[in-house]
Amino acid sequence: MSSSKGIGIGGGVGGPKTTAPVATELDKLSVEQLRAVKEQADLEVNLLQDSLNNIRTATARLDIASNALNDLSLRPQGKKMLVPLTASLYVPGTLDDADKVLVDVGTGYFIEKTMVEGKDYCERKINLLKSNYDQLLEVATKKKSIADEVGIVLQAKLRQLTPSQ
Amino acid sequence: MASSTALRELQRDLENKANDLSKLQKDIAKNHQVRKKYTIQLGENELVLKELELLNEDANVFKLIGPVLVKQDLAEARANVRKRIDYISAELKRLDATLQDLEDKQKSKQETVFKLQQKVQSFQAGKGKA
Repeated sequence: MSSSKGIGIGGGVGGPKTTAPVATELDKLSVEQLRAVKEQADLEVNLLQDSLNNIRTATARLDIASNALNDLSLRPQGKKMLVPLTASLYVPGTLDDADKVLVDVGTGYFIEKTMVEGKDYCERKINLLKSNYDQLLEVATKKKSIADEVGIVLQAKLRQLTPSQ
Repeated sequence: MASSTALRELQRDLENKANDLSKLQKDIAKNHQVRKKYTIQLGENELVLKELELLNEDANVFKLIGPVLVKQDLAEARANVRKRIDYISAELKRLDATLQDLEDKQKSKQETVFKLQQKVQSFQAGKGKA
């Protein structure tokens, strides 16, 4: 009982907290360790994919905001409109000055900007997100190729161990 | 007889040390989580500061306090955000120090556990031969 526990903990101690072993060293790892490395690499790839998705969602929302701004700038002052008070309650109102917009910049701060500045803000944020997305995509593809490589070596090792088939 | 009680003592000691180790690992994981939260907040506050600094002095700044939008002085808003950034950076530094300390403790505990395991195994091997 305690001996099996020992192997479990011992495996954890020797287990890889390393980042990426060089290709030549992959061959030297046992099947157990290869499996652990592959699991960790897969976990990282999934995390990165989630982040990528989050960025894509945020960029889409900013795009919608930017479009709404553009639309708003076309509306004349005094135009009749319906203002949402809740998700199911709209109240009739008239459009006031559409040149001033309140921008949510984060941590509870709102800044009053002109329409032009507001559009510029949306553009800036979208560009920032796009560059983040590209950087993240690079890292994610690299991690995925590492994970694939580990998987290939693992399969080769497994085939080595059962050559009778 | 005496050797089996010694063996049991060793095993109990091993279990205790293993429990300590897993508690350390849980603490390290919690530290990582708090660190992540602070890092995100720091990034957000830095973005806000950048926006605030781009503004003209006469621009209006509002803060959302509960359901109320309250007009704020631009200089005051900048000062508040800067103070928050300093606070979060200090917290992160403190967490880093704690994390380093926890990791060192974890390493030494791992070595202790490993040595104990070896002792237990050699004990059992010795008993088997006798």
